[in-house]
Amino acid sequence: MSTDPPIQTRWIELLVAVCFAVAGVVVVLDSQRVGNAWGSDGPQPGYFPFYIGCLMLAGAAWVFLQTCWRWRQDGGSQVFAQAHEWRLMLKMLLPTVAYLVSMAWLGIYLSSSLFIAAFMVWQGRYSIVKSVLVGLCISAALFVLFEIWFMLPLPKGPIETWLGY
Amino acid sequence: MDELSHLIQGFSIALTLPNLGFMLIGIFLGVLIGVLPGLGGANGVAILLPLTFSMSPTSAIIMLSCIYWGALFGGAITSILFNIPGEPWSVATTFDGYPMAQQGQASRALTAAFTSSFVGALVAVLMVTFLAPLVAKFALNFGPPELFAVQLLTFASFIGMSKEPPVKTLLSMMLGFALAAVGLDSVTGTLRMTFGQESLLKGFDFLVAVIGLFGLGEILLTMEEGLSFKGQRGRITLQDVLNTWKELPQYWATSLRACLIGCWMGITPGGATPASFMSYGAAKRMSRHPQDFGRGAIEGVIAPETAAHAAGTSALLPMLTLGIPGSPTARCCWAGC
Repeated sequence: MSTDPPIQTRWIELLVAVCFAVAGVVVVLDSQRVGNAWGSDGPQPGYFPFYIGCLMLAGAAWVFLQTCWRWRQDGGSQVFAQAHEWRLMLKMLLPTVAYLVSMAWLGIYLSSSLFIAAFMVWQGRYSIVKSVLVGLCISAALFVLFEIWFMLPLPKGPIETWLGY
Repeated sequence: MDELSHLIQGFSIALTLPNLGFMLIGIFLGVLIGVLPGLGGANGVAILLPLTFSMSPTSAIIMLSCIYWGALFGGAITSILFNIPGEPWSVATTFDGYPMAQQGQASRALTAAFTSSFVGALVAVLMVTFLAPLVAKFALNFGPPELFAVQLLTFASFIGMSKEPPVKTLLSMMLGFALAAVGLDSVTGTLRMTFGQESLLKGFDFLVAVIGLFGLGEILLTMEEGLSFKGQRGRITLQDVLNTWKELPQYWATSLRACLIGCWMGITPGGATPASFMSYGAAKRMSRHPQDFGRGAIEGVIAPETAAHAAGTSALLPMLTLGIPGSPTARCCWAGC
């Protein structure tokens, strides 16, 4: 486990810079679509977002280039995380991403129960019955709190539709 | 001394037994709302508004203000113990509050937080009482250029205060601006960056961004360090409170500066968030040991909390004199009257 090489900060810098650049491109393209000039009645909808996107692109490029310039000098000495730490972090991050994606289809309550139960079985090594019960109870309590008491609509899926909500 | 008699009269109404009871209930509900993530002061006041319909207007506004204060303090609790700010203006409190809690000084940080909130609010109340007529005239002159100047100063102080390279701070700020630009353009009514998603119409809520950044980040970091997620211990004993109160008077200069910044930013509708950041920046600049900031300096808790609450209270001034609420929560209180 300790033989795996650590995750180096320079790779993370590049990854983050690329993510920012992608976000910048999205902002710039959409600002182009709605108009980024100064119209007859003042700034068009994309006027300010366009420059925000440009600044994001420029900043991302700067971070990317700076990391490349220092690549040799750095030599992988800056460690972002050890390999086993990184794996622990992914164990949390990947299920969370799956949870978010499943929320679009299953609704927040069902996916929360699944998420909680799966985590209790997988990470906490609780018994399956206990985990499923806890998951369902928490979701039911949240449902009563938000949906009935506070009347805040949250994403719902087929189960809630079947129950008549 | 006309103002003084008004003030005394106000206190004599506020300090009757039923009103004290409403205060207690209000603060309890407020702290509950502040600690629950996702329910900020404004939402909380709006949800609990029906509770006040059967009350007299005075009791109603007393209870609503107490819910508001409770929610503000609830935000400070999560900032210090979990590093998750509940409200925009408690972000600056996390900088030093959470390191203090990690060093086992959670009770010291919490005491400093609630005492400085009290000091800030009290100073602002006195100021509101004595200066209201004068300030109302001035606040009318505060237009878009002045507002722009205040915001520019705030964003500039982000870059100046940050320990990270300026480019990265700028990048993060631009990402924030881009997220804020999502949704309906308020000038032309055109949809920006929604890509056909109905839920993006209103843009990204601030709380969503904060919980994502601070909450999820903290959980992932805790996982990475191989620990089970737990907040810092927050037991307060009377002894801790008394000890902290004994050392607080040393920081009178920090508190005074924070009160001034807070009152100023509250009256000129800058708001509590810029006030807390600017006060933190000023305290760091003028401190004799600026290197301790960010590692658990008690001034780093006192300065933003005092300023935020002074600003929050003095923001009531434009609401009561001009009918312009200074914050979303103030708007909900206004609706309740």
